[in-house]
Amino acid sequence: MGEEAKEEFEPKIVGFTCNWCTYAAADLAGTSRKKYPPNSRIIRLMCSARLDPMFVLKALLNGADGVFFSGCHPGECHYIKGNFYARRRIAAIRTILKQFGLDDRFKSYWISASEGEKFANTMKSLTEEVKELGPNPMRGKII
Amino acid sequence: MKGAELKHGDLEGLLKGLLEKGVVDCLIVPHRAGKSVSYMLVKHADKIESSASALFAPSFSVNAANLVKGWTIKEKVGIVAKPCEIRAAVELIKLKQLDNESVLLITTDCSGAYTNQVYTEHYAEIGDQVDSAKITELEGKGITIRESCAICEHRLADVGDIIIASGAGDDLVVAGLTEKGEGALTALELSLEDKDLERAAEKEKIAAEAKAKLAGLPELSSLDALEEFLQDCIVCKNCRDMCPVCYCKECFFDQPLGDPAGGDLLNLAELRGAVGLPTGQLFYHLTRVYHVSTTCVGCGACEDACPKDIPLTRLYPVITQKVQEIFKYEPGKDVDEPLPFTAYEEEELEECLR
Repeated sequence: MGEEAKEEFEPKIVGFTCNWCTYAAADLAGTSRKKYPPNSRIIRLMCSARLDPMFVLKALLNGADGVFFSGCHPGECHYIKGNFYARRRIAAIRTILKQFGLDDRFKSYWISASEGEKFANTMKSLTEEVKELGPNPMRGKII
Repeated sequence: MKGAELKHGDLEGLLKGLLEKGVVDCLIVPHRAGKSVSYMLVKHADKIESSASALFAPSFSVNAANLVKGWTIKEKVGIVAKPCEIRAAVELIKLKQLDNESVLLITTDCSGAYTNQVYTEHYAEIGDQVDSAKITELEGKGITIRESCAICEHRLADVGDIIIASGAGDDLVVAGLTEKGEGALTALELSLEDKDLERAAEKEKIAAEAKAKLAGLPELSSLDALEEFLQDCIVCKNCRDMCPVCYCKECFFDQPLGDPAGGDLLNLAELRGAVGLPTGQLFYHLTRVYHVSTTCVGCGACEDACPKDIPLTRLYPVITQKVQEIFKYEPGKDVDEPLPFTAYEEEELEECLR
């Protein structure tokens, strides 16, 4: 792919965020008028433990250029321990994705409700990283 | 552990005793039908076959744990099977698909097994029992053990309630690993003594051989490689049905979202331009790898079940082992150890997240 085409590439990023922390952080980033790239599509979950790793697989196989997950910091879950369970599941799915070289496209973060700035900065760096990776090769495939 | 020394000839009496003394209500034991070996469910002691030779027959047909999956009955079922099968049963107990109080798990030593087809075809050469020397000798003739057995590090009986370990020649050691197992042996009026069945050296040798075999397998290291690997898959889901630890009553891939048809499929084709038919090989197998990631015992039943001869051992046991490593979890080892996805540490795994 030439330099020009790379510049035009706008990745599609699917994000799974928990209602109580990262979704609120995204809201805060908005109300505090922080600017960040519009490439991410956020899907709100009530808790990070609602993240079924199948969601990640399905998004990646259907051609999402990047997938991210973000929830409350460990120990600060609204439901006490949801993100501890989520962390184990994410570690497992990441190990599997790593085997097939897909883990670069899946990122996970902990962003609390007060970290609007961190959310905006994370979205900026994430979009840059995914742009660097280029389009997901699964997009054009017949599966 | 407490145990007793026996001879091969005593096994028939041991199994009959379990039924006659009411230690178990029924027994699932290997059963010889001509040249082949399968399982049978025995209720009356007189049906226990005189030659207990089938117990050690290096033949794998189905995983015995899969036969009792979801049995939630009061009657006590004794299961005599290979280590991988008993390990799967232990995982099923943890997954609440079996009741620990209504099973008696009896593990026999295994030296590696042939698929039941190969075993039946070459019974004359293989015989009733093999050891590692014999396996190597047969390998020279092109008769090889299953790939999942070749990479298995857990061939010595060390799980379940009772183990039947083979010693030199005709000697056997029967020992109870749990209170339940020791109780059962006591009820059989065996003279039990403290047994120190230390087989670390043997275990290490098997593990080293298995690791060498594993390193020799072609690795699936990219999505393209996986796609090529699965291109013949017809999504029959037989690997799921024969997997002892895949247990959902309603599988996602039997539902419209996981198994799209008709209008759903047209919508998918509209979205992507075209869809492959049958669709979803990658999604199905990757999801299944995740679902069994902590509980896969590496028995290889999936590979045996595949009608298209896809060597699924290179996918399931090989990759799930890597997940089990990060949790330092060995499936089937201990009934009381929690499943990794049902437990957590407050500080862990951060290095696995990025």
